[in-house]
Amino acid sequence: MKPSVLIVDDSLTVRMDLGEAFELTGFATMLCSTIAEARSALSTGSFSLIILDVLLPDGDGVDLLREIRQTPAMAGTLVMLLSSEAEVADRTRGLKTGADEYIGKPYGQSYIVARALELLRKREPVSTAARSTTVLIIDDSPTFREELKSVLESSGYAVVTAGTGEDGLRAAVDTRPAVIVVDGILPGIDGSTVIRRIRADAALRSTPCILLTGSERRSDELKALDAGADAYVRKEEDTQIILARVTAVLRSAGSPSIVRTTSSLLGPKKILTVDDSLTYLHEVAVQLRQEGYEVIPARSGEEALELLSVQSVDCILLDLVMPGLSGQETCRRIKGSSAWRDIPLIMHTALEEQAAMIEGINAGADDYIAKSSDLEVLCARVRAQLRRKQFEDENRNIREQLLQKEVEVVAANSARELAEIRATFVDELKSKNIELEAFSYSVSHDLRAPLRSIDGFSKLLLADYAGKLDAKGQEFLHLVRESAQRMGELIDDLLLLSRVGRADLSRDQINLSDIARGVSEELNKKDPDRHVKWCIEDQLLVEADSGLMRVAFVNLLGNAWKFTAKVSAPRIEVGIDRQEGVPVFFVRDNGAGFNMGHAEKLFSPFQRLHTESEFEGTGIGLATVHRIVDRHGGRIWADSAVGHGATFYFTIPPARHGGHR
Amino acid sequence: MIRSGIILLVEDNANEVRLTMWAFEKSNISKQIVAVGDGEEALDYLFATGRHAGRDPKVMPEVVLLDMKLPKIDGLGVLRRLRADERTRQLPVVILTSSKEEKDVTSSYNLGANSFIRKPVDFDQFIDAARHLGLYWLVMNEPPPRRDSGRSS
Repeated sequence: MKPSVLIVDDSLTVRMDLGEAFELTGFATMLCSTIAEARSALSTGSFSLIILDVLLPDGDGVDLLREIRQTPAMAGTLVMLLSSEAEVADRTRGLKTGADEYIGKPYGQSYIVARALELLRKREPVSTAARSTTVLIIDDSPTFREELKSVLESSGYAVVTAGTGEDGLRAAVDTRPAVIVVDGILPGIDGSTVIRRIRADAALRSTPCILLTGSERRSDELKALDAGADAYVRKEEDTQIILARVTAVLRSAGSPSIVRTTSSLLGPKKILTVDDSLTYLHEVAVQLRQEGYEVIPARSGEEALELLSVQSVDCILLDLVMPGLSGQETCRRIKGSSAWRDIPLIMHTALEEQAAMIEGINAGADDYIAKSSDLEVLCARVRAQLRRKQFEDENRNIREQLLQKEVEVVAANSARELAEIRATFVDELKSKNIELEAFSYSVSHDLRAPLRSIDGFSKLLLADYAGKLDAKGQEFLHLVRESAQRMGELIDDLLLLSRVGRADLSRDQINLSDIARGVSEELNKKDPDRHVKWCIEDQLLVEADSGLMRVAFVNLLGNAWKFTAKVSAPRIEVGIDRQEGVPVFFVRDNGAGFNMGHAEKLFSPFQRLHTESEFEGTGIGLATVHRIVDRHGGRIWADSAVGHGATFYFTIPPARHGGHR
Repeated sequence: MIRSGIILLVEDNANEVRLTMWAFEKSNISKQIVAVGDGEEALDYLFATGRHAGRDPKVMPEVVLLDMKLPKIDGLGVLRRLRADERTRQLPVVILTSSKEEKDVTSSYNLGANSFIRKPVDFDQFIDAARHLGLYWLVMNEPPPRRDSGRSS
């Protein structure tokens, strides 16, 4: 799509001049002379760029800019302010309000267009494909340009043309052509110079260049090749030959340079000139503008620093002797700031002494020039500084890109290694789990079978051969059976412990009171001779796995039942407490209790605090309860004293994700 | 109605076979226990093929006591074939095993087992279980109607 520009200026000359320039560059233009007109244009159309005058008959351009910046739909629109109010304070106000650029009047038409294209390119980088087939023709003869253009276009190339070397260089910056075809003899700078400038520009220097010439002199060819031309073609030759050459250089051109971020040396540049003498500022501005630079004048060091805080520049020209902040101090501050340190700074002064020069260089200036020098020399120095800066930028970019690539490679490698390690662990865990399942299955099935035979044949002996055994023999057989049965229980408890650790947790809203009552009734039924007083609180609601919570209560209440066997008025209590705002469930008995000194052993498997003859048990029950509470993300602990009963506390925090884990 | 009074015990462990037969003996329910040592032989017996080719296939056991871990064809494999065959689809099958893994119980019932009993280590409990089992399947339970169809006689 064609880019569009809205030009708002009350001067007809400015509108016509810029309108024409942008149209020639391929923009759709809309011209307005007042803020009111601009508002109505903005309400009906959308623009990629707005050139906005500050002083308008019906108001302040900066106010319109503010409106634009507050409209989300126009967030991406570039705005360049254009004003004769080029004081530093005006610039600061415009740029702070959100202008992308501030250009002083008198302006350079080509500078504005080039700057606009540069800003737009930053926003939407031109794709390599679109750039790859553009040919730039620089020739002063319109007839020849058109002839060559039609030949190239019929072969599928996009063609851009320029009539002078200066225009050609600008076009090269704007369009970044794949090949440049340039005539040797041109009205301004000649073809060799054009190629030399291209070769001196880091962003353009890899562009193949073909030099055309009418001359047959050998020295001209040598001069052209010396300047860096890739091919040399005599103008008399058929345009088809030129086409063949274009195709050939494109074929042999290497892959594009990795540096795409470096801005072109020949692109639009801003120079900040700082001097207390208005006359000198004016004189320098005229000269630099002729060279195609945008000049921002500042009258003091303070103004210069203020401007730098809102707008970046490409080069600074700084007077050494100024009232207020001295040139030396200004230079020191600029070079002391990480944001400005890299801007080339040329110190200039009327003083001719060596001491002054040394002072300037010591303050961090990149170059030093006497005011008495020819302005041409000044311009050349500026150009040299800009080139030096560009090479530095390029080197830094390359270093950064290489570093970035290295970092990316390292990051990718470690990410891959991490993923591999994780995958290995997951696989290992899976196979361990399968192993464990197989193990507990065989424990369950195969280890119990021989126990059944031991118990079964002992029983058979006792039943059918009792007459052949004396009392002692029979007692021994009973002991064999007891041991076999106890081992059976141990196996069962261990299986339960392992199952509790592996089972999927399915959490629902359940009532622990119901579970506790169910377990208490089973215990009562199993041993009807015992009379335990049960106190189970109602509505003990919790979000938990009901199967596992039943196992927990079978163990906790089974323990309480067991350890109250020897007290006169046994009592078992189940309820809820709040401790520090957290609901805590408890199971309390008034039984034998235990010494808190051994409390840490309580929840490990096979730890028993009582002898087998005192209270029977496998020592796995509390480990199972601990694991169940743990699976729910809760905590379990106990409180007891020998002879004063025991209380087991546990918490079940709310489920985190939808009740399942 | 004439009932065969036969219990078919499918069990590979010889000790288990002896103890189970003794337990049924003690329970005074059935003295007609046929024991086979693997899944294949169990199928041979029930369909009167292979080693049991001479057997009258119309005489079916009252109940099959089936272990899960068996050589050749395991318990669940045997069950699957019994349920797939017209002649044995309704034959009562009790899984009698050491395991009580939930997945074993679930797959047994899914394949059409009539009951699942885990053999206890305590032999007194097992004699008890044998008595209940015999009483239930051989006395109280009404067997499925005998089918002469399916094969011409």
